[in-house]
This record gives sequence, C-alpha cells and structure tokens, in this order.
Amino acid sequence: MNESETPPSTNFAGRLVRRLGKLSYLIDAATGEAIVPSDLGRLISSFGANLLSAGLKPGDPIVIGCVLSPASSIAYLGAMYAGLVPVPVEESKLPLAGNVLLNRVAAKALWTEKLCTFDWKCPEGFDFIFGHPSEMPAGTIPPAPRQEDDLAALVATSGSSDVPRFVMVSHGNLIANTEAIIRSQHLENDERAMLILPVSYCFGASVLHTHLYSGGGVVFDRRFMFPDKVLHAVNRYECTTFAGVPTVYNILLRRSNIRSIALPGLRRFLQAGGPLAPQHVQEMRSIVPAARFYVMYGQTEATSRISCLDPENLHQKLGSVGQKLDNLTVQILDAEEQAVPAGQTGEIVVRGPSVSLGYLNEPEATRRAFKDGWLHTGDLGRLDEDGYIWIEGRKGAFLKVRGVRVNFAEVEARVAAVPGVYECSAAAVAHPEAGEALVLYIVPDKTADRVAERVRRSLPVHWTCDSIRIVSELPKTSSGKVSREALAREGNRAS
Amino acid sequence: MQDILAKVQGAFHDAFGIDPQSVSFETGPDDVPGWDSAGHLFLVSNLEQALGVNLDVDDVMEMETVRDIVRVIQAKLAA
Repeated sequence: MNESETPPSTNFAGRLVRRLGKLSYLIDAATGEAIVPSDLGRLISSFGANLLSAGLKPGDPIVIGCVLSPASSIAYLGAMYAGLVPVPVEESKLPLAGNVLLNRVAAKALWTEKLCTFDWKCPEGFDFIFGHPSEMPAGTIPPAPRQEDDLAALVATSGSSDVPRFVMVSHGNLIANTEAIIRSQHLENDERAMLILPVSYCFGASVLHTHLYSGGGVVFDRRFMFPDKVLHAVNRYECTTFAGVPTVYNILLRRSNIRSIALPGLRRFLQAGGPLAPQHVQEMRSIVPAARFYVMYGQTEATSRISCLDPENLHQKLGSVGQKLDNLTVQILDAEEQAVPAGQTGEIVVRGPSVSLGYLNEPEATRRAFKDGWLHTGDLGRLDEDGYIWIEGRKGAFLKVRGVRVNFAEVEARVAAVPGVYECSAAAVAHPEAGEALVLYIVPDKTADRVAERVRRSLPVHWTCDSIRIVSELPKTSSGKVSREALAREGNRAS
Repeated sequence: MQDILAKVQGAFHDAFGIDPQSVSFETGPDDVPGWDSAGHLFLVSNLEQALGVNLDVDDVMEMETVRDIVRVIQAKLAA
C-alpha cells in the first residue's frame, strides 16, 4: 500500500492499519501462533478484499464469531476496513442463538475461524465464510471510504441474555475514543497488551484498538481458568499492559500465584467493567508496585471508555473512577434533568465524539438514552470539586456479575417459571469473587418442597447466586410493585 | 478411581448442567461450554464439596483435563 499519497482515512480500521508499527504482533499465547507486523496490515486488507469478492458490499453487517485469537481480530478489523459492519459475537454463543442474532442484525454473512455446524438453518442468500485469514487468497485493497458518522460496528451491550441489545458505533466514535484512551493511558509505540477479555466486549475491543493504533501489539490468552499460565505468558511475551474486569483481579488475588510470579516488564494494569473493591486495588498495587494501576469507567453506548483515574492520584482519589476523557463533557443531572453542582448525586450524562449512534432497531430505547447528544448512562454518581467521578449506584434495575450485566427482570422471570415458585424477587449483594451476586427471595407454593434446590439448579452458571431465602411474602410498594429498597434493607440486615 | 470419576462427573453436572456420562477422562475446557475462568471456580467449589477435599491454588492450576482432576484428587485423598 502506498501510504504517502492518500489523506488520513476516516475508516477507523484503515487508519489503524496505517499506524501499525514494527512491534504490531498479534500472538496466540496458547499455541504460540504469531502474526508478524509485516503481515498484519496485509492480512486485514486481504480479508476485506475477500469479503468484497464474495459479493458482500460496504454497509453489510457480518457476524464475526470471536474467540481470543489473532484470526478473529483480523477478521473483525478486515470487515471494517472493507466498509462492512462487523458484529463481533463470542463464537460460543452461536450454536444456541446464532440464527436469532443473525436475524436481529440483518447479517449478510457469518465468519468463523473453523468450520462450525449449527442446528439452525442459515437465512436464504446468506454467506457462511470460514477459515483463517492467512489461508485466504491474497490481494489487498485500500480502505473503503467512510464518513465519520458511518456505522463501523454493531457491539453487544454486556447483557446476560442470549440475544443482546446492539449499539451502533461509528468510525468517528472509534477514532475519537481510541485516541482519547491512548492519551489517558500514556501509551507509547512499543506497547504489548495481554488480552484475556473477548473482542466482542467493548473493553476488550478497546484494548485491541488502542494498542494497535499506537503501533504496539496484542497477546491473546484464553487460558485464564489457569491464571498462572497467563501470568507466565505476560512475562514470556514481554507484555506491558494487562486488562481485566473486577472478577479477573479477584481471581488473581485469591486463586493465582501472583505474589510469587514477578512481572518485571509490566507497565500498567487496566481495570473497568464495574467496581473493584478499593482494598483489592491497593493489594494489586502492593504486589506489583512497578505497574501503574488505571481504574476506568465506560459503557458500550459511549463506544468504550468514559473516564480514567490517573494513577498519580490513585491513592488520593481511591474509590473514584477518575476524570472524564479529554474530549468528553460529563454532567450530573437531578430527577428534573437539571445539572447539579459538585458534590451532589444524580444521573451521569456524557456528551462528545465517542457517544454512539444509539441502539439498533430500538428507536424508543435510543430516544430515552440519547437525548440531544447527551448519553444518559443510567449510572448514579457525583463529581467532586476536582472533576473526579464517584459512582454510587445504578438507575436501571440490574446487577453486574463478573462484569456482566444481569437484569433483575430476566432473573425473576426465569425463577418464576420454576415449578413450585409462587413469587420471586431478586436483589444484589457484594460478592468477593463475582463483584455482585444474586439474592433470591422466593415465596413458594404452599404444597411445594425443595423449591430452593430446584431454583438453584435452574440458574445459568454465570448468574452467581449468593443465597436463596424462602419468605412468606414480598414487601410491596403502594402501587403493588415489589419494593427493591425494602428487600435491600432486609438483605443487608440478614447478611 | 471409577468412584472418584463418578463424583467428578456429578460435579461437572452441577457446575455446567451437562450430562454426567458425557464427561470422560479426556474431557477438557474446549469440550464443555462454560468451562472458562469463572466456570472453573464453580467446578472447583463443587469438587471440594462432592469429594470433601481442599484444593489450593497449585492444585487448581494442574486441573486441565478430567484425568488431571482425578489424579489431583486421588493424591489428596491418599495423603
């Protein structure tokens, strides 16, 4: 590709390819497979060329079945490079809900690294493409011309249901957020990230984007169930960045040998995806003092990151999620949607070039969350006099288990369907490993026995349940709705 | 050994909701949906309960297949 003549592209993937550096490796830690920098840009481009020659067109959504690997990251970026709209989805979600997902996003194609067979039938006229990008015909193309407001990707919110809500992220969103994150984390051109979070999750994607965009590389490791392996891989591949959600740090602190495995090359830990207990932040700091610890806050609806706590002020502002990124405006609104002064709690709203285009095919939800350019995050918090954001809770009724949003309504619907359950309400409690876990209040049918056991068995693995409490009735508000406040008080008293 | 395997199969069923008979010595994380880092923790606590053993960090690191799990638990029970 001739880099000198074309103006900077507003195709995010095109821009990223131009900025790849001599350390832009993509490495699979489990197999040792490495895509070398001299091949990476070419593979992204030729993957895009292959999609176009298969008859796909710019603007077409393509579901990318993601595993933590170089290949799925190349496919994701390659589709975007060719002007298609990648929809990164964990490959493991495809067997169960793939057809629903494909319909939801009106996908024209599906890519997986290996040939997969599914029970469901592909829609008519649909392309199923599989194979490692390096095994596809070569031949490169320039990045498809895209405007800033053009759709770059459809990204699932970190919800727990099988068919998530999709956020429309533009090329301009990605460029603005990526560049602001790079500045906030002081990324150099010699960085290498250890990525154990999927690229289908906006935090995982942001780590991939920022490290390649600044000329560095990424190591993928899907073996975090054996955390020591990942720590050794951090050293073997000389990673400079490690990114995790609270569960990841809780596992490192309790279930790994991080205290005896020195990490001399690591420059920074990144933490987002819900609150990590301040004492765990301090513990990480004392175990690996040479690495700076970045606490961050974000949402898929804002592309990825919204704020970042500068490690210099970590001690002084411990418990805060830091200051807004430098190209955003953050305000706190009261119930009448009026901005409140520093120190007062309200809903956090965000404005700026990384606020996304809204939810796919959900005009009503989009209208509620995106008003006049302001993203209403649903998070409650306050700003202090120095502009640091302190999160205090959530407006919406969901909890975060291992960094994943779980809707109370969804839990309650599932539990209510278990035979023997008369009524059910779900609440959240702090949990040492999951961050938050469920407490279920169940009113059983009079004749039913072993209800708690049956309910426990009906819960999906990812819904960590702290306890099930059998009660004779649920506290109600005057309007007849179950009172979450009363339940929360009861839960705190009991625990 | 078969006795331990049966209890391990039960722990897999409780952790991941899969058919106990589908769990063999060769079963590894790629074969079981949900056997990821979080799933591994569920599995470990189910194993501890089902077999009455205490698994420490190094034990957990060794448990890469069902065969490893049975071996680790056998050693624990013999000690």
